[in-house]
Amino acid sequence: MARAVGDGMAASEAAQRGTPVPRRDLGVVVVAVVVLLAALGRPLLEQLFDRPAFAHWATIFVAITIQAMPFLVLGIAISAAVAAFVPADFLPRHLPDRASRAVPVAAVAGAALPGCECGSVPVAARLVSRGVAPAAALTFLLASPAINPVVLVATAVAFPGRPEVVAARFLASMLAAIVVGLVWARFGRDALLSRTRGHVHEGRPRDVFFDTAQHDFLQAGGFLVVGAAAAATLQTVVPRSILDSLADRGLLSVLALAGLAVLLAICSEADAFVAASLTQFSMTSRLAFMVVGPMVDVKLIALQAGTFGHRFAVRFAPLTFAVAVASSIVVGWWLL
Amino acid sequence: MSKAGGAISVLVGAVLLRLALTGTFQRYVREGMGWLLVAAGIVIVTVGVVAFVRALRHAEPADLHDHDHDHGHGVGVGWLLLAPISALLLVAPPTLGSFGVDRSTSVDIRSGIGVFEPLPRTGTARPMSLLEFSQRAYERSGVSFNRSAVQLTGFMAGSEEGGFKLARYQIACCAADAAPIVVRVVGVEGAVPARDQWLVVTGTFQRGGDEDLPELTATSILDIDAPQDPYE
Repeated sequence: MARAVGDGMAASEAAQRGTPVPRRDLGVVVVAVVVLLAALGRPLLEQLFDRPAFAHWATIFVAITIQAMPFLVLGIAISAAVAAFVPADFLPRHLPDRASRAVPVAAVAGAALPGCECGSVPVAARLVSRGVAPAAALTFLLASPAINPVVLVATAVAFPGRPEVVAARFLASMLAAIVVGLVWARFGRDALLSRTRGHVHEGRPRDVFFDTAQHDFLQAGGFLVVGAAAAATLQTVVPRSILDSLADRGLLSVLALAGLAVLLAICSEADAFVAASLTQFSMTSRLAFMVVGPMVDVKLIALQAGTFGHRFAVRFAPLTFAVAVASSIVVGWWLL
Repeated sequence: MSKAGGAISVLVGAVLLRLALTGTFQRYVREGMGWLLVAAGIVIVTVGVVAFVRALRHAEPADLHDHDHDHGHGVGVGWLLLAPISALLLVAPPTLGSFGVDRSTSVDIRSGIGVFEPLPRTGTARPMSLLEFSQRAYERSGVSFNRSAVQLTGFMAGSEEGGFKLARYQIACCAADAAPIVVRVVGVEGAVPARDQWLVVTGTFQRGGDEDLPELTATSILDIDAPQDPYE
């Protein structure tokens, strides 16, 4: 689907060259119109806030967005700096040739290079196109958004006084990333990755920095809004009793939150705060939420299908989901 | 780069700055987040301004031919950022009210509880968080109150027999993880306050409430506006 969207946009860009008014100019007009309409709708909005359920929804929606914003911005700034100032061949040069050795190294490299998941997909695509073993690039893709310092700090803030949650998240994510990489090295078909494309900004480092930051902010910010709305809806609409009834059911509760992570598609910088709010679930289920979220979710599946192709995505997503859940259960049982 | 994208970024950054500088952000996140929101706002505004200016400079047709890659520089899903922004520009959503009190899990008051020093009998009511009130009520059945007057601030969260529920949320990070603490106010003379009205209630601890709903016998109830920091 993502590819169809991409093709559609390419087509409309082509069409736009023939028209006198570029669509880019209309975009600003649309922004102004939306703000104006919102201004006219102010009385309506105030009426809506008189309804307790809507006010509750709006407060939680805004709260998640606001809380995540500084972490998102930090992640995007660092990721843009990496894209702009770290030489593109730095990683390929420093990775071993054999996949079985390159995979753990790539996992560690992923931990050291902060970025949110929207940013790691094009980076992984760039690695593959520069000749890094696909298994290693995929490990990097999974590790980078899940266990980087920004995400771990956010997790520590979300679970104050509980360092074991941070440790469990780090270990379970690292384990899952490495296992998926090794499974891919053994059984995967690299031919599936043949048409690897990425969104790579080029030019002077300063321009690359701002282009990448602006692009990633709009993408990640937009998906954050979707995630915040979904989470707020869940908290407002779904009676506690349903979540509570799933919460007590051992393995079922782990699968429920892992599935929720896929559907909510919250950025890895922010998901710990949502996990912290799901207080009726066991710590192991909430760990699964935080381990699965940065690796498999609806927006990532779309991004991966658009970048690596559908045939890759339909194999990679279920494999990653299963490994991430298993890894969470093992580490959660051990540490939490 | 697109001008619309730049404009959206500038708007988002400006709204963050406004929330942080007016203090409204405390309705949604913890007080300590203020400077982080200012920093994030400045970065987003800068990135947006740069994108906007560059889009103005590069709006020549020749430049468009360089943009043939897959998902281009369209705003895409970034449009959705306008939803919370339009809402916040106009009417900031209120603090959490009584709607969520029965839907959220409640605070475990027993965790990290110690032995409280008895309150001095000074004659003036002592301001106290609902959490401390609940913990003192639980610890040795409220002996540490020493029958002194205390003052609680919270909102009205529903009628109870002989009074009403006074509640206030605790948050760890943001309103999404809010958990309420509830106290039953008894001995109310006259009309019960309106639901969601913020109140300062002065009174003394009353034995007989249960663990979830400790009781306060009110001597005075004062209507107030919602405090700047509505959470404990």
